[in-house]
Order: sequence, then C-alpha cells, then structure tokens
Amino acid sequence: MRTDRQADGGSGPWRAWARAAVWRELAYALAMPLMAGIGVAYLLLVLVGVLLAANVVGLPVLALCAHGARGLGAVNRGLARVLAGEPTPAPAPFRAPPGLLNWFTAALCDVAGWRAVIHSVVRLPAAALAFGAAATLWAGGLFLLGAPLWAPARLRPDIWPGAPLLSVAGLALLLLAPAGVHLALGPERLLARTLLGPAPGALRIRTLEETRARAVLDADAALRRIERDLHDGTAARLVTLAMSLGMAQEELAEADRPERLERARALVGGAHSSAKEILAELRDLIRGIHPPALDKGLEVALATLAARTPLPVELDADLPVRPSPAVESIAFYCTAELLANVVKHSGARHAAVEVRVRDGLLVLTVRDDGRGGAVVGAGSGLRGLAERVAVVDGAFDVRSPAGGPTVVTVRLPLHI
Amino acid sequence: MRIVIAEDAAVLRDGLRLLLTTRGHEVAAAVGDGDALQAAVEEHRPDVAVIDVRMPPTHTDEGLRAAIRIREDHPDLGVLMFSQYIETRYAARLLAGGADGVGYLLKERVADIRDFLSALDRVAAGETVLDPEVVTQIMGAGRRAEALSTLTPRERDVLAMMAEGRSNGAIAEALFLSYGSVEKHVTQIFTKLGLPPSESDHRRVLAVLHYLQA
Repeated sequence: MRTDRQADGGSGPWRAWARAAVWRELAYALAMPLMAGIGVAYLLLVLVGVLLAANVVGLPVLALCAHGARGLGAVNRGLARVLAGEPTPAPAPFRAPPGLLNWFTAALCDVAGWRAVIHSVVRLPAAALAFGAAATLWAGGLFLLGAPLWAPARLRPDIWPGAPLLSVAGLALLLLAPAGVHLALGPERLLARTLLGPAPGALRIRTLEETRARAVLDADAALRRIERDLHDGTAARLVTLAMSLGMAQEELAEADRPERLERARALVGGAHSSAKEILAELRDLIRGIHPPALDKGLEVALATLAARTPLPVELDADLPVRPSPAVESIAFYCTAELLANVVKHSGARHAAVEVRVRDGLLVLTVRDDGRGGAVVGAGSGLRGLAERVAVVDGAFDVRSPAGGPTVVTVRLPLHI
Repeated sequence: MRIVIAEDAAVLRDGLRLLLTTRGHEVAAAVGDGDALQAAVEEHRPDVAVIDVRMPPTHTDEGLRAAIRIREDHPDLGVLMFSQYIETRYAARLLAGGADGVGYLLKERVADIRDFLSALDRVAAGETVLDPEVVTQIMGAGRRAEALSTLTPRERDVLAMMAEGRSNGAIAEALFLSYGSVEKHVTQIFTKLGLPPSESDHRRVLAVLHYLQA
C-alpha cells in the first residue's frame, strides 16, 4: 500500500483518494441496495416458482428462474470484476441436449444457476455491510467535515465552537474510508468468487480438459515431426543409397572395362558414406524420440546432456527417489530445451542445472549468466514447455529481468 | 530423352540427375517444388517429368496437383509420379485426366535401375505404369471383395500385371504361360468382374481401377 502511494509520486495521506479503485469500490458499495433489491425481487419470483412447483405446471417456471439466475449472476460477476477488482471466471456455459423437455430438465438441474440464486440470498448481509461501511465512512465523514457550516444553526452556542474538532474527526473518517470500504467489501468478494465462478469441480475439469487437449496435440505434433524427419531425411537418403548400389551393380555386371570398374568403385564409395550419414541421422532421431541415457536415470541423462551442450554447464542433481519415467522425460526435455535457449538467445558464458526433491516435488532449476529478458509467450519455446509441464500439474516459473540472470524453475510431481 | 525432375530432397534429386545423365538422358532441370516444376516444364518442354508427390509448401500432395495442372496444358508430357508410399486415391486422381503416359511408382523402385529406366521409357512412349503396390492395395482394400474373391489366384496375378500396364505378351512371359492362356485368363477376369473387354492395355488398367474404386 505504502509503496504504491510512494510510487504514485504523490505525498500526503489524501493521495489515497486519488486512486481510481477507491471510487470504483465506493460505486460498488453504493450499488449494493439496488443489486440486493433486484436479488430479493428475483428470490420472490423463485419462491412463486417453488410454490407453483407443487403442481407440475410450476416446474417450467422454476427452470426458467434457475436459467435466468445465470444472467443475474453474470451482472453481479461483472460488477465484482469491474468495480470490486475481483476477476471471477465465468462458469461453464449452459448446455442442453436438443428438445424442449431436455432443455427444461437441464435448466432445472443447472448448478451454476442455482448457485447464483443462493448468492442473492447469502449476499444480503455482505451487501448490507458494504453499503453500511461506505455510508458511515463517506457520508458520516463529509457530514462531520462540514460541521462549521451547519453547527452554528443547529447546536447550542456554547457547544458550537467545538465544530472544528468535528471537522477534524470527519477528515479522519474520510481518510479511513478507502481502506474501510475495501475491507468491508471482503465478504462480497468472497461470495462472488465462491458462488458466481465455476463450481470447484468444474474448474478442475476445465483445467484437465485443457491440459489433456494440449497433451494430445503435443503427442500428435511429436509424431508428425518424427514422420517428417523420417520421410524427408532418412527415407530419401535410403532411396538414394539403394539407387547408388543399383547403379554400381549394373556397372559391375559389365566390369570388363576399367572405367566401369572405376565408376562402380565411386558409386560404392558414395553409398558407403551415405550409409554412415543415415546411421548418424537415425541416431539423432532416436535420441530425439527417447534418449537412451534416460533409461539409466535422469541424473545420467542430464550429465550426458550437460556434456553435449557447447557451453560449460554445472550440474548438481540429487534424487533420492526415482521419479516416474514420464516425469523424468519431461524434466529432461525441459532441461534440453532450456539449455538450447541459453546457447541460442542468452549470450551466457555459464549455465547451471540443479535437480532436487523438495516437498515431494521434483524441482528443476536452470540458471544462466546471460542478458535475461526471456518471457513466456510471444511465440517462445518457453510457452510450449510451460504447457507441457502443466499437463502433469507441474509449475513453470521464469525470472528473467533485463540484464539477467535468467532463472527458470520447473516443479513436477515425482509420480503421476 | 529430355527430363525434368521435381523432388524436394536434394540428395535424391542429385542422385536421380546422376543416374539419368549417366544413362544418356538430358536432365533439363531439377527443381524442388510445384511452381518451379511448372515453370521448368514451360521453359524446357521435356518429354517426361519425374515428380515427387509430396513437396513444399504443404508437404501433402503438392506434386500431384502440379502434375494434374501441367497435364491439362501439356497432354503429351509423360508424367512419372513417385512417392514414399502409395495412395490409391492419388492414383485415381492422376488417372482421371487420362492414363496415356502416366506412371505412379514407389520411390524405392529406383533401386532396380533397369526396371526404373524401362518404366520411364514406357511413360515417355505414352503407356501407363502403375506400381504393383497400387494393385496390392486395391486387392486388400476389401472393396468389391466379393467380385475379387471369385478370381483364382492365377487370375489375380494376371489382373495385377494388367493393372501395371503390361501387355498380354509381357504377362505371358513373366508368368511362364502361353499367350493363349493369358488371353483366356483376361477374358475370364473381365467376365467375372462384369467388364466389357477392351483393345488397348492402358484402357484395361483404367477399367480395372475405375471398377475397383467405384
């Protein structure tokens, strides 16, 4: 708070009023009677629906109520986001199978709608608190501040000389008002967050859906890459090799003339070196699919990786327990990609890789002494890594101030 | 023979150029994508174009589409498509514009130099050359399996060779049969598949292909 104000460049306690958030929060608090009123009116409507539901005709009314509550929830969520600074994600969109009956059934059972209805009940005390605090602090403060104006007319002459003191008290209230209203909005924020957002399970499901989609895309992209490498590289070379050998065979069939023998020798020589190139290419390809060193454990694989990196890499790995193969694989590829980034972009002279187990998590840290400024996103490979890590509920953290150093920390569950 | 090569893998492109020039052919141009192929054909008017199916930028059927485009303007140009794997659909699309002087081979056939060169000659001479794999795929595709299942193994062999574009004489020689018995097999195949007999070899290929893919 304090540092914020200093950063604003101003001085004096009244700088607190200069922040737009103060006025937005005040607007939110003042909107409470209206929103609470709308909520109560809506509740009455729901009540009518419940009473009607005693006979079957009321059920569609109730379904409409539950569905409409989503709209009310959206308005409240919007207010909370814009005015109270509480960004709450929208619940999963309403989905119903085709058919009117199905629609009504789905609406009647719509958790998000009913949560919004519950919100308009339980928010009443929170709304009262928010409005009460705002009214007391701001209106009371202004009223007391203005004491010298109204005191002479209303108070007994022997008391009114105390009016300046009332003003001071009013000023104090006004100075307290921003923080007070902010605090008093706490319950409102909490309710918006818990009742108007996606249900806890839904949020988890959404995360799982997203990460699963990424995992599938990732696997597909990897397969395509391998196919492309095999098709454009290895297969083309093998065809050429076979062709050279075929030509050599034909030359040898009529090897009575020395120049034919010479040509055959050149063709076989070419085939020999291209066979060696194919082997090297295949080795790289295989390493790309699954580094053989990884079978002997992450430490060994990382040591090989560090040795292959064209830059001094200090490796400090200590894993008392062996993680799941998939986790090892992700950790390895993260390290490989991060070290490749260090070599390509950072201009660093040294890099250090540390692998530890902390709090039941595998913690991988890659740091370099380069120029920094790395960001996740912006088409960087870091984003892809972050997504890959998210697939196993891991965390990916990049600290890279301009001028360096860059420290990337990856946390992965040991077992999945 | 004047030849234009379109192949995106440089190593194979150079290999082909070497092979064809040592065999006395003239390689007028060797290019790496469909647009360059079209330009090279316009410029050099070759007898045959050897075209990789899969080329940049899409790495799917770039070469095939270029070949079909070029054939529309130059029906006399022999086109030998070759690719890492055989797609029967590709063969059908290629043949849809006419089967004269069209070939479709697996790349690995280049290893048998003599067969490859003779395929090239046949395409240049306006014949049709299909890879045996095309036929195998169609046979295994399960389409019209009922009709095909009525064929004897020997008749299947003959059908396969017909689809490759071989004449009755060539089939007789390859299968160590008399010319007469090959003719008998061919008539039998047409009868079993309900196809009217036809004169020229490549029409037989077309008929077989079209029937099997219907």
